[in-house]
Amino acid sequence: MEQPHDLTVEAPRAWDRPAVAVPVLVCLSLVGGRFASFSTEANLYTLGTGGVLIWLGLSNRVPRRPAPHRLGAGAAWWALPVVVFVVFEGATFVMAAGDDFPTFSRLADPLLEDRLVRSAAWLGWLSAFWGLVRR
Amino acid sequence: MMRALAIGGFLASLVLFAAVEWAARREGSRIPTLGDVCAYVTRYEVGSVPVGRIGLLGFWWWLGWHFLAR
Repeated sequence: MEQPHDLTVEAPRAWDRPAVAVPVLVCLSLVGGRFASFSTEANLYTLGTGGVLIWLGLSNRVPRRPAPHRLGAGAAWWALPVVVFVVFEGATFVMAAGDDFPTFSRLADPLLEDRLVRSAAWLGWLSAFWGLVRR
Repeated sequence: MMRALAIGGFLASLVLFAAVEWAARREGSRIPTLGDVCAYVTRYEVGSVPVGRIGLLGFWWWLGWHFLAR
């Protein structure tokens, strides 16, 4: 008989432990940091790593942490940073003033040209992705 | 001047993200952490389709592609 996926408890797997996951994420990030923007390699690598993580996130292969059944009124505080970001991103995008009033990605691009910063960004992206997969 | 305003605005939003997360992690806080908010969003389903999970994972993939590949 098929079990409801919410009630399924899976045994911890070796690759689910931080001692395994962190070095793997670091290695993947160091490789990703080598690929320049707009390169075929960067596109394929983003597609590959992201595709695998989306597949893991949509399947039941990775144990998930319990999610809250409801959020309290305190969740409204999260609207504050989101609104500030959306207002500035929207204004800079609509005005399209280039470097005079740059969008967030236009500001980030020169920083991401550095290989070390790029690898760090990859690590942040992959780590958060892994966290989302396990939620 | 306008450039400084944009940088200041984006920095302010990042500081606010960190501040709200810090407040959420304090003992007895009524503010959920960003992880809890994301987990709550992933619970949203339409029928048997995990729309929240698909949307959140898809958004995060797009964000990485936008900054790291485009």
